[in-house]
Amino acid sequence: MRKKSVLLIVVVFTFLMASGFNGIVTSIVNAEEAKISGKEIMERVYNRDEGDGRASTLKMVLINKHGSQRVRKIRQFNKSFDNVEKKIMFFLSPQDVRGTSFMNWSYQDGRNDSQWIYLPALRKVKRISAENKSDYFMGSDFTYDDMGDRKLEEDKHQLLRKEEIDGEIFYVVESIPVKEDYIYSKTISWVLKDKWIGLKKEFYDQQGNLLKELKVNEYQEVDGILTIIKSEMENLQNSHRTQIILSDIKYNPGLDANKFTERNMKLGL
Amino acid sequence: MNKFIEMILKHSALMVIILLLITGFFTYQIVDKAYLETNLDEYMPQDHPAFVLSDKYEKLFNISDAIVVAVENNEGIYNYNTLNKIKIITNELAKLEQIKTDEVRSIANADNIVGSDFGLEIKKFFTKIPESGTELTTLKKDIEKNEMVYGRVVAKNHQVALISAELVEGKIDRLELYHHVQELLKDIDGPEKIYIAGQPVVEGTLASLMPADMQKMVPLIIILIVILLLLIFRSIKSTFLTLAVVLFSTIWAFGLMSFLGIPIYAVSTMIPVMLIALGVADGIHLLSHLHEKIKNDLAISKIAAIKDMLRELWKPVVMTSVTTAVGFISLLTSEVYPIKYFGLFTAFGVLSAMIFSLIFIPAGMNLLGLPGIKRKSNTKKQDSKLFFSFTDWVLKYKKLIIVGSILLVIVGMIGMQRVWISSSLLSKFEKDEEIIKANNFINEHFGGTTNLNIVISSDEKDALKNPIYLQDIWELQTELEKLDKVGDSFALTDYLMRIDKVMNEDEGDIKKIPDSQELVAQYLLLYSMSGDPENLDKVIDYDYSKVNLRLNLKSDNASLIKDVINRVENFKDKSSLNELKIDYAGSAYTNMIFADLILEGQIKSLLLSLLIVTILLTLLFKSLSAGLLGGIPIAITAIVNFGVMGFLDVSLNTTTALISSIAVGMGIDYSIHLLSKYRSLGQTGVTPLTAARKTMQHSGRAIAFNAIVVIAGFMVLIFSSFPPNRELGYLVSLSMFSSFVLTLTLVVALIDKYKPKFIFMKKNYKLKNKKSNLD
Repeated sequence: MRKKSVLLIVVVFTFLMASGFNGIVTSIVNAEEAKISGKEIMERVYNRDEGDGRASTLKMVLINKHGSQRVRKIRQFNKSFDNVEKKIMFFLSPQDVRGTSFMNWSYQDGRNDSQWIYLPALRKVKRISAENKSDYFMGSDFTYDDMGDRKLEEDKHQLLRKEEIDGEIFYVVESIPVKEDYIYSKTISWVLKDKWIGLKKEFYDQQGNLLKELKVNEYQEVDGILTIIKSEMENLQNSHRTQIILSDIKYNPGLDANKFTERNMKLGL
Repeated sequence: MNKFIEMILKHSALMVIILLLITGFFTYQIVDKAYLETNLDEYMPQDHPAFVLSDKYEKLFNISDAIVVAVENNEGIYNYNTLNKIKIITNELAKLEQIKTDEVRSIANADNIVGSDFGLEIKKFFTKIPESGTELTTLKKDIEKNEMVYGRVVAKNHQVALISAELVEGKIDRLELYHHVQELLKDIDGPEKIYIAGQPVVEGTLASLMPADMQKMVPLIIILIVILLLLIFRSIKSTFLTLAVVLFSTIWAFGLMSFLGIPIYAVSTMIPVMLIALGVADGIHLLSHLHEKIKNDLAISKIAAIKDMLRELWKPVVMTSVTTAVGFISLLTSEVYPIKYFGLFTAFGVLSAMIFSLIFIPAGMNLLGLPGIKRKSNTKKQDSKLFFSFTDWVLKYKKLIIVGSILLVIVGMIGMQRVWISSSLLSKFEKDEEIIKANNFINEHFGGTTNLNIVISSDEKDALKNPIYLQDIWELQTELEKLDKVGDSFALTDYLMRIDKVMNEDEGDIKKIPDSQELVAQYLLLYSMSGDPENLDKVIDYDYSKVNLRLNLKSDNASLIKDVINRVENFKDKSSLNELKIDYAGSAYTNMIFADLILEGQIKSLLLSLLIVTILLTLLFKSLSAGLLGGIPIAITAIVNFGVMGFLDVSLNTTTALISSIAVGMGIDYSIHLLSKYRSLGQTGVTPLTAARKTMQHSGRAIAFNAIVVIAGFMVLIFSSFPPNRELGYLVSLSMFSSFVLTLTLVVALIDKYKPKFIFMKKNYKLKNKKSNLD
């Protein structure tokens, strides 16, 4: 099953998560500290709380090797329903795509995602389909997988070492795809100890060369949830970069199913 | 000079050892560092504005030369085996380090933008290779329906599929890559036929054919020259020394080139031929003189004979070598680096040959001993007669000769009008060459193997999302595609129309450019969400202020590209595109500019060398008429050369552009010899007839020998399997023949008619006579 969620960017960038049972977990962690495995670390990251839906404004800056930029501003909403994770995003700028909206439903039961796009200039909602979750999203350096679609069990995780950077302890975890023929031969994540948030990640191509590097430049607690605010992904092989900056973040904004409809896509914000 | 001669004779062994050591050093440099440049971009002047701009756009739009592989199956490509082969080749090419991993395109990985029941889909034509009949039929239909693929990636007859693989940036040995690709495709067998083409293959093959051909030709030339030298000298020692001069000077030229880290370009492989043909001249002069001396005085001592040879001839040898070198150095005015280097290193080789002639030959002779010479035979009397009657004939018909020469100039000038410049690399090959067959095959089934990129740009961001411009770009594409030899075109418009068609499929089959900037922007956003946005980077830049329109051409000829550019400029003037800037990029364009530069450089260096040579002669003889007399046969030779090229439809290209410089450099030697002899005789106060006859007998003979050797040397190239080398062979032979004949007829006729003062002024005698009268 695939998710192609832009909303998860946050999640993803973060990889984060404290579980819902903070207190209890902390004690377990302390007990298990000594022999925590790579898999357990990534589980903690994956299962961190992301609240009951979120609204935020996303600024995405694409920078190519010539230094030219494309800047897009998007207002986005996401929420998990029973069996489906729904996201909707509205383009605020550039002016000529203002009002364009994109919706993604990602099902838990293994069905393919459903995706819609509304083009105001055409006044039509169309369903779209892209075949590969390794595809780059909207010309950025993030694939749908990078943005959080990749399942925990699709990789084998191994704790390589602990590293101290600027006085903070990080778990360095290597993740190798179970199936061969994936765009990455491995990824290495730097997970901040006790906070279960990934602050750096390296992506290696099929030949084993470093392809991309993700760095979290700013994170903070919003509504009690640790949230990545600024991050940057750089493709070291073609010198293309993508910066993501989140603002106006609100967790549990009280979204209901009506927010995620074709009708609402047309209506706009 | 005497000191110098003494020194050579005293330290002969040391001299030879020093020269051999330097030669050894240069040989080591060649073995260690020499490499063949196979990337044509390296031949271009990188700082020329047209190349700078082209380079900028090539980087901006990721334009790079591609190897093109065509897979043909007469039964059609829609079967598991053929499709599987296409997929394997696609994957294997992507693995080559010289190829951009994600820029190998074929039907196995092409995007298919389609409208489906529920909306827009961008997917592959197949992920798993289809096997069943229905799957294969669906694939065929899918391809037929997608004009971004049909006729571009799969031929319209469904029997040929194309795989294109773009090269990574940086230094890549084109030839090595071609061999890799051949190796890779060797194992693929079955009913399919495989063709390999594309600019890198053409460049690699071309860069290798010329040296390979020279490798075959040079030994032949050497053998021929050895035979001629043996016939002339009838002495192994003399032949050996003369041969050593040319071989060593070639090593010096290539050694210095390698030492300075300059690669061997295709044209540089002509240097050995040049030096062999030119270098023997000095040797012939020195050693014929020596032989003559010994014949006349069999008792002469070794030292005396060598001293006499050097004393008598060092001046003409230096003079002719310097003027020849000047002819080649004038090529430095060319903006084309390989030609500059060719000129520079040939000049260096000519001067090294001079050093060898003046040091190695006497020193070697001193060590080896004089050649054994038999007593003078009476053949000399016979050719004296021949030369005398030839002189009489020239003097009798001098008016006819002058008029004839004028006619020759007129005819030559008419032919000159027809000379055309060719930047076409393909025209340099034999018609049955593998690459030509592959190229023709691909041109027949697809748009064309030559790409011209037309870059349309504005200073304002987002300007190229304007539908008015896009509409006109589409019309420009339509108009250009009507031209003969223009295959197809590809631009942002093709994506937009495809998406528009798919998005409006419910409203019927309409093909149009979206009608608002918003819709254009939204389609592009849509594409970036579902397709591979990097594809768009090839057709529009990040600021949406520049678009790249790629034109596929079926010929790489400059005239076609010029024609296309004219059409574009005309269209621009009468459309909205006149608000925008249009530039051109890509190898087809730079090759054309390159050809123009060659022509320009050719004319510059020809005029410059004529001027310098005339000035040198003027200074040498302290007479302007000497300069003009020497310049005339060369100038006429140049005109004849171009005239013949025009009449025989030989194009002006990197190889043929060098010919007139060679002709000037060598032709001037004949004038120098003739005029010096004429003057030394004329100033003795003999009658004009005797002066002419004696000049003809002495210089005419040496000039004839020289011309025969050089012409014979170049004639060998006529048997070359490489067309440009053949052209070079007969054109240089013709030039040499022309300046040889003109020097002995026209110059003699002119001197006899006008009796120039610098030859017939008997200054010294008059003074002496006056003195004696006074006494």
